[in-house]
Amino acid sequence: MTSGWGNNFQSLSSRKPADTVAQVQEVVAQTGSMRGLLAAGLHRSYGDSALNSGGTLVALTGLNQIEIDRPSRIAILGAGATIRDLEVAALAQSLFPPVVPGTGYVTIGGAVAADIHGKSHHRTGAFSQCLRRIKLLLSSGAIADYSPTDIEFWATVGGLGLTGIILEVEMELREVSSNSVTVLEKRVKNLDEMIALLDQSDSDFEHTVAWIDLSGDYRGRGVVSLGNYGDSSPHASSQMKGRAPSTRGLSLPTLGGMNFITPLTVRAFNEFWYRKPLKDGAASIVKYMHPLDGVNNWNNVYGRSGFLQYQFVIDLGKEEIFAKLFAGLRALKAASFLGVLKKFGEQSNSPLSFPRRGWTLTLDYSVTVPGLEKFLREFDEELAAAGGRIYLIKDSRLDPGLISAMYPRINEWRSTRNLMDPKGLWQSDQARRLQLC
Amino acid sequence: MLNGFKSPGRIALIGGESEIGLSIVAHLAEDNAREVILVGRTGEFGMDITEKGARERVVHDLFGNGDLDLAIVAVGLLGNDATKSPADNLLAAMDVNYLSTVHFIELLSERMKEQAHGTILVISSFAQVRPRDDNFGYGSTKAGLDFYARGLASKLKGSGVTIKILRPGFVKSKMTAGMALAPFAITAQECGKYGVQALRSKGLVTWAPHILKYVAVIFKALPSRIFSRISHR
Repeated sequence: MTSGWGNNFQSLSSRKPADTVAQVQEVVAQTGSMRGLLAAGLHRSYGDSALNSGGTLVALTGLNQIEIDRPSRIAILGAGATIRDLEVAALAQSLFPPVVPGTGYVTIGGAVAADIHGKSHHRTGAFSQCLRRIKLLLSSGAIADYSPTDIEFWATVGGLGLTGIILEVEMELREVSSNSVTVLEKRVKNLDEMIALLDQSDSDFEHTVAWIDLSGDYRGRGVVSLGNYGDSSPHASSQMKGRAPSTRGLSLPTLGGMNFITPLTVRAFNEFWYRKPLKDGAASIVKYMHPLDGVNNWNNVYGRSGFLQYQFVIDLGKEEIFAKLFAGLRALKAASFLGVLKKFGEQSNSPLSFPRRGWTLTLDYSVTVPGLEKFLREFDEELAAAGGRIYLIKDSRLDPGLISAMYPRINEWRSTRNLMDPKGLWQSDQARRLQLC
Repeated sequence: MLNGFKSPGRIALIGGESEIGLSIVAHLAEDNAREVILVGRTGEFGMDITEKGARERVVHDLFGNGDLDLAIVAVGLLGNDATKSPADNLLAAMDVNYLSTVHFIELLSERMKEQAHGTILVISSFAQVRPRDDNFGYGSTKAGLDFYARGLASKLKGSGVTIKILRPGFVKSKMTAGMALAPFAITAQECGKYGVQALRSKGLVTWAPHILKYVAVIFKALPSRIFSRISHR
């Protein structure tokens, strides 16, 4: 059985590891289109994006080469290499990926397929903005290289692995003068203050994000975190340039399958988190970028039934939708301890890429919250009517009828995809559930 | 596909006119919008379930437009048609309740195994607990169905496909209109709630209402002389 990071799906499929391109080609040649094939990485997508019930998963974590050409700042990366490995290799040469997500434990292939974003989106755009080339294995068995001038490139970016198997990418890294970031944290009392502070900070900071407390009175108090790449003095810790950052985080056992996330525990945690001392100064770049990686298997706190992450983006000027959302969640007593608010910059050219100019809010909920399914379905309709959309790589419950409102270029993506995969080999449970293909 | 709340996206109700079946579907629809296919005597998926070819065609068509997440098998004849002889009534009930339904479930489960997920909810009956003079013919067909469903549930372990059995007692519906109410009678709407519980429960069998589980134990334990007196009641 395979699950996404949210543990709310259990899927049965045949899993085949492939450590070389030839092995991947062999799996492709052997697999039929009935239940199809999907590339799998570290299964950090929350829902069913990387599941393929009744079909085949080809595990690409062995395809993990990292080659960096220092003068040109170009990295050639295997699809199975992780963001974390890339960061370590890049820092050794005073480089860093311009876009990294909240966890370092995602593969490059997954990062492309989701067109991931990070705290730098207002400056750098999404992951695809740093890519120069994607090497893709097509369902015909042929291997093709696509660059940002090709429509196949943009169909693959954010394309959820449904256009082909990403084998390798060429990516441009940025210069950093140290392995530290200068961090400034500020406490805010409510959502309006948070929005105002994020608004005015974007021009001065390369990294901006806010933790938002959605429990108690749901006013949206929180902590805004602002960061810039550090100056030349390296961060004094074990994470010196070129040394692997410690991966020994605190490990969370399965806790007997129980769900520890209740309104009470969330409120207590959030109170503590809101009051904790604010940072003002240098911090480790890796720790700053990946706060979620401090606790391994943190997803276990939600117990056996699992949880879902709900992330959406809404245009600037339509902030009134937050009040409706917060009121509804408060009525359900649905408390979230991982609320994150961020202002996005410009969108990429990809039809299915999620980030675009506006506010994005991310929330985590146990699937056992009574009435949550119905509430989110109704909220989705309001969101779609207001021109917003949800992030597909985190979705596990969207109504397929809302896809075309949220992603108006889906049909353009579908026709490119059909040309790239006429026999329909690439399949996933999410693609079936949302009727994407 | 099921969504992250384990709510099915495509549901087929076999016995599209069944009040119990429709009630289960209505309860499921409260939380989420779903595609429901009604397989009854008429309509796009209409069939005479006693025709082998019709069963094969309908099962093929049910999977033609995407995965099927849940099939509710709510086909049943009491075998009390006053225009038919007792022998003909028995034959009709055997054909519909057991032979055709079991074959249909077998076909469904084969297709669900290919998709490696799916649930079949089989509507059995309290009548299969012990033969009573007034309904042992019907009870025998449901006993056969129940027996098969339990066997299939065991065989399907590890395949991703799940079988659930709902055993209602007396359900007030069109099917039982005019019959004397039995103890613990429930409405079709109430029975629908138990159907949803059956889908969410970890166990194989759900009784509707739950107390029938214990009534069944007593029924089975009673000496035949006493049981026969009760069933003649």
